[in-house]
Amino acid sequence: MSTPTTSAVEPAARSGTHRVAEPRRDSAASARARRERRAAYLFMAPNLIGLTVFVAIPMLLSIVLAFFRVDGFGGYDFVGFANFERMFADPYFLSSLGRTLLYLLVLVPGLFLSGLGLALLVRHRFPLVGLFRTALFAPNVVSLVVVALIWQFLLTDDVGFIARLLDRVGLTAPSWLGDPAFALPTVMVITIWFSMGYYMLIFLAGLQDIPREYYEVASIDGAGPWTTFRNITWPLLKPTSFFILLTSTIAVMTGGLDLLVVLTGGGPANSTTLVIYYVYQQAFVYGEFGYAAAISSFLVVILLAWSALLFALTKGGRFSHAQ
Amino acid sequence: MPSPPGLPSGLPPGSTTEQPSRRRFLGLSAALTGAVALPGLLSACGGRTASASEPLQFWNFYAPAPSEDPALLARAGWMHDTVDRWNAENEQQIELVYAPVLGSEKLATAFSAGEGPDIFLISPGDIARYLNGNVLAELTPHMTREAVDDFFADNMATRMIGDKVYALPMEIEPLALYYSRPAFEQAGLSEGDLPATWDDLLAVSDRLIAAGQGGLVFPTAQDYYQNFVWYPWMWQGGGEVVTDGGRRSGFDSDGAVGALRLWKESIELGLAPRVPPASNDIVTSFSEGYASIWQSGIWSIQDFERRAPDFDYGVVPLPVPDGGEAATVLGGWAFAANAMGRNPDEAARFCAWALGSTDDDGVARVADWCIDAKRDISPRRSSLEYGSQAGGYDSEHMRLFRDEIFPSGRGEPRYPPVIYKAVSDAIQSCQLAGGDPEDQAATAAQAIDAYLTTYEGVNLA
Repeated sequence: MSTPTTSAVEPAARSGTHRVAEPRRDSAASARARRERRAAYLFMAPNLIGLTVFVAIPMLLSIVLAFFRVDGFGGYDFVGFANFERMFADPYFLSSLGRTLLYLLVLVPGLFLSGLGLALLVRHRFPLVGLFRTALFAPNVVSLVVVALIWQFLLTDDVGFIARLLDRVGLTAPSWLGDPAFALPTVMVITIWFSMGYYMLIFLAGLQDIPREYYEVASIDGAGPWTTFRNITWPLLKPTSFFILLTSTIAVMTGGLDLLVVLTGGGPANSTTLVIYYVYQQAFVYGEFGYAAAISSFLVVILLAWSALLFALTKGGRFSHAQ
Repeated sequence: MPSPPGLPSGLPPGSTTEQPSRRRFLGLSAALTGAVALPGLLSACGGRTASASEPLQFWNFYAPAPSEDPALLARAGWMHDTVDRWNAENEQQIELVYAPVLGSEKLATAFSAGEGPDIFLISPGDIARYLNGNVLAELTPHMTREAVDDFFADNMATRMIGDKVYALPMEIEPLALYYSRPAFEQAGLSEGDLPATWDDLLAVSDRLIAAGQGGLVFPTAQDYYQNFVWYPWMWQGGGEVVTDGGRRSGFDSDGAVGALRLWKESIELGLAPRVPPASNDIVTSFSEGYASIWQSGIWSIQDFERRAPDFDYGVVPLPVPDGGEAATVLGGWAFAANAMGRNPDEAARFCAWALGSTDDDGVARVADWCIDAKRDISPRRSSLEYGSQAGGYDSEHMRLFRDEIFPSGRGEPRYPPVIYKAVSDAIQSCQLAGGDPEDQAATAAQAIDAYLTTYEGVNLA
């Protein structure tokens, strides 16, 4: 196959005019390159400024803050690693970390499976499919505070909607948000309900990227639904799965604070005090900004390590190179 | 398809533009970071200076009024009148700023950033941190001795260090038990059955539940308010969180254990809900029959006036344990001035003028807040007398609060977060997680003692 580069150069060389035309063309190309470079920077600038102001600078300051004892009134004492030492000796932090790991172990697979399952259900066209997709995604467009208030209302002990519903079928509802044994599972269920529509949407996009021809060939070859899923859908969904695994882990570890603050306030008896809530409590309720920054920095390190591991295992999410 | 020669992989033909290199990109990022951060850092170096042309900011949760609710408008009206009067007579102007959740995040963040308000409202539950941080301006130089002595000493104590005043209370809010008369009637209970002891309280609640009525409500959310509401039950049995002049914990005591056990039993016996009904709203809960007895403050009187004026409810002092003494806790917010603000002297003078003036206007101003804008006990003797003469305490419930409940009150204690947390965990564990009161009291006492060995700050006893 001939290339445009050679075909474009040859006529000029043959005509003997290249000595004059070449510098002019170089200068035009370089001006265009400069313009396009400028345009590229301009396009990047809004995001770059946003990331710098709202992510990079706070993150750096937070890491620096972790080495200080902060009194909350402008007093900073350098304490070295004292905040980190305190962290590993703090039973409240350690129990919140254990609770968060449990939360993570349930939530990440829960969000993954519910998102994938829903995406598989609504991937094909059928009557009212748009309505179903919208309904499943709808909780995502509502503020988490509103979601928390609605669920608080539904889950009220004895007289709440759920309690009355169960009462009608002869069951006694537990105190969903007042019993330490039920509070965290309740928060988990609400979080899955709230978030699964988002992950469904991401999976749906991944599913729609898979060429239809593969399924047609599999069908001609007599492959059943499970074989088709295992040999076509699942392998081709790996980059999407990687994305979901990574983002849901980060979201579960660092998100949902508003839900916890409104729904349970970390209680009853600390049973829903996850690490992110503990950070909030230390910083904004107790004024321990340095200690809160140390815990946040620890969280960032864990998440960076987890992300790096995932990237390494999957070659940056491009599984084909890894295999 | 392979890319044509001369084109980077993945780019469409014609995309011969030079890509911004990684080094260049990082350089640009660093430059942007510097450009964005530098002005902030430079401005942080400059101090906040006083200027009479700039009004001082008064952060509060009353004004400007957040809604058209007549009660909220009345409170906002009092705030506006007070500030307008000051502004008319003084060069240093003051501006009201509405700050809804002043007690926690907003105030803490603002002070941490060196942008704390010039004047603000503060509760005793939060004041120790601010006193220990030396950020409250002393108000005593702007008050006469007579004015300081006019405030009820026990309620005032948590706002003082020695004989120096650092915040002035605008109200006193004692706690009591509210009960629903219709629920009592439905359960065949009369005024003679009103609980006077803890045993009575559990027995009456049991009869109410058995009759299909709502039960007894204690707060269950893990926060400062729950500790505040729980303290009087501990005090009634002689318990203390901190004793011996603030040097050691008195929490591992019969008083604390008894109070922990009372709240634990109320849940275990099914007499109190684990989550307060109707989103913690006493008026709806009583009106709908979800609750029959509720521990609340004097502020609930106005809630009933506003939202259910015809509902028939009663108020009784908190029951006492056998051999115990009546006690309640006195809540309420106070005016404080920021010592690091733009004009601390004028801010402090405003606080002292607004709530501590001994002239007729000053006395009436405090009384008006407590009987017109709200329903509270006045923090000053003169204002309480003025309010009484003006008929503010003539109603059955206001009279009861003034004559029977308030005299048994103690000011809300000022404990740092570590002590608050130790007490809170003990309450939560016993009330909601089946914890053993003796064990929990001992655990909390150990944590408090450990903290007190290194504590340096205001007296906590």
